[in-house]
Amino acid sequence: MTDAIIQTTGLTKNFKKTRAVDALDLTIGSGELFGLVGPDGAGKTTSLRLLAGLLTLSEGEATVAGYDLRRQSESIKKEIGYMAQQFSLYAELSVLENLQFFAEIYDVPREMIAERTEKLLQFARLTEFKDRRAAHLSGGMQKKLALACTLIHEPKLLLLDEPTTGVDPISRREFWDILTNLHLNGTTIIVSTPYMDEADRCSRVGLIYAGKLVICDTPRQIKKELPGEMVEFLTNEWKAAKTLVEKMPGVLETQTYGEALHLLVDNGEQRLAQISEALTTNGINFRGARVAPVRMEEAFISLIQRLEE
Amino acid sequence: MFRRILALVKKEFIHLRNDWWLPAFMLFGGVLELMLVGWATSRPINNLPLMVLDHDRSAASRALVISLENTETFALEAMVDDFQTIEDALERGEISAAIIIPPDYAEEMAAANGTPSLSMILNGAESIPATAALHAAEGVAATLNEELIIKRLKLSPDEFSGFAPRLRVWFNEALSEALYTTPAEMGLMLEFTTLLFAALAFSREKELGTLEQLLVMPFSSLEIIIGKAIPVIVIAFTDFLLMLGMVHFAFDVPIRGSLPLLFILAFGYLLVELGKGMVLSVIAKTQMQAFLLVLLFGMTDFMFTGYAAPVESMPKALQFFANIVPAHHWLEILRGILLKGAGMDVLWPHVLALAILGTIIMTFSLRFVRRALD
Repeated sequence: MTDAIIQTTGLTKNFKKTRAVDALDLTIGSGELFGLVGPDGAGKTTSLRLLAGLLTLSEGEATVAGYDLRRQSESIKKEIGYMAQQFSLYAELSVLENLQFFAEIYDVPREMIAERTEKLLQFARLTEFKDRRAAHLSGGMQKKLALACTLIHEPKLLLLDEPTTGVDPISRREFWDILTNLHLNGTTIIVSTPYMDEADRCSRVGLIYAGKLVICDTPRQIKKELPGEMVEFLTNEWKAAKTLVEKMPGVLETQTYGEALHLLVDNGEQRLAQISEALTTNGINFRGARVAPVRMEEAFISLIQRLEE
Repeated sequence: MFRRILALVKKEFIHLRNDWWLPAFMLFGGVLELMLVGWATSRPINNLPLMVLDHDRSAASRALVISLENTETFALEAMVDDFQTIEDALERGEISAAIIIPPDYAEEMAAANGTPSLSMILNGAESIPATAALHAAEGVAATLNEELIIKRLKLSPDEFSGFAPRLRVWFNEALSEALYTTPAEMGLMLEFTTLLFAALAFSREKELGTLEQLLVMPFSSLEIIIGKAIPVIVIAFTDFLLMLGMVHFAFDVPIRGSLPLLFILAFGYLLVELGKGMVLSVIAKTQMQAFLLVLLFGMTDFMFTGYAAPVESMPKALQFFANIVPAHHWLEILRGILLKGAGMDVLWPHVLALAILGTIIMTFSLRFVRRALD
């Protein structure tokens, strides 16, 4: 890891009745694409807002982009780009006017404004909509515009709060392609997301639960945390199959995905054979039995379930 | 710093251009309302519908009705035959007044020591027309009384002279309602416009979710406040100029005092209301809340301005309140300059009060808003 762009120790935020963020220790290196995941209300948004200097911290210390968060939050604001969860652009302004507004506020040199807006419009594929009011863009385009606006001053650090929530899969893919590009160009990105396939695209993932950072590692390592292996069957009689296999030894969890039955078992190869046999004996048709790679989704749900117990 | 403020001001104006309803309301709402008030109050109260129940049906009673009609305060709605009709009409609000002439009216008028009488019923639910009706009827009665005395004393009218006061009204010779109402209404419209527009400054951004974006930008809170204040000042002052032009040219409200003084004081007053509006703006979470708060404050201020009821006739405790309402001093200044041609030598207590209140409000507002934004 290169030098840290974010370093927090015991970062805490108390609201009137709840402790939204509880002693968060987080180190994020320069150039990382860091994913922040966790159930709703876990403290993802509060953490990002704290790091953006929108909230004052109750306890703890933090440095962001080389500045002290407590004392130099004004300097931090110039270095970062923050994108709120809800649409927070000026709906009455056109695409171009929004970009120009951001450029002026972030002190982008005048002679560079035209070039940068042009580049960002292309980048976000919004060139042909540049005179349209932000209010009249689709949800996905609004998100891309918001991202373009936060990029106008070429920040070192991007804080994105669920940027793809409520966006269709194609726009979501497009959005992530943009993020990956930025990541390759060296921008540090911290992104919170409820989508596990997105978490899989991050270089590191932190799981927040009840205001605490429960685990913070690469997606590959997090998947290894899963106690056991994943076995998959395809069947049309998944209900009967589920009732049957649930009670079998070595089956830790069952989840259904359409016609697929995902089973978390203690030993993949061994249990696969036993389960196949049991299904055949009971006359349940199935195909495609295999030991499947663990996905973030399972790892995540399993982790949360263990935490809730 | 200036670049960011300028960008914010520019953004606000783009908003106003695209969301034309608000500025249109701000600029022309006041002027329109003023026009209606001025128009409605520019003429004296007359043509109040009157019903007459004449039990006498004599030449004398007809003369009385004609005298009443000649005042122009009344318009004869109907001669009726029974009291029930009058009662119904009053209840429905169809008439402002009714006269009941007793059967012996002519007889008593003619008798050497008769005591002619008549009864009058007024619709007190509308006190201003009722008062006007009362004055007109008293005037007619006084004239009749005079004639009666002359006749009974067998004098010629030239020989009879009594107490004849010479009344003169200053500043508003014709006692025109419009001269009283339009400057006051204009002063209040300026308050309302400034207050409302300022109150929307942050509540609007809060409601639309854009405040968060504004706060994460490298603005100092002072820059945001200045950037938000400039459009309010520009719009409110333009509104003031429009309204001033309107009352002056359309309703002949004079500008007897110094125009530059009026502009300076109007500007100062506008800043005071701006400060109040900004505080409301950070308290309110939505535009609707901001609007309701403005309504509450505006209405309370209105009661204490002395426009609806003279401050001098209020209880002592309320008089004190009136003196800490900036709008009260502003209306005194506005009317003083327009109607009386007053200068600083006369107006200074109000200007001083406004300055003190303004300093307090602005200081508090600046601190309060900055804390809310940081």
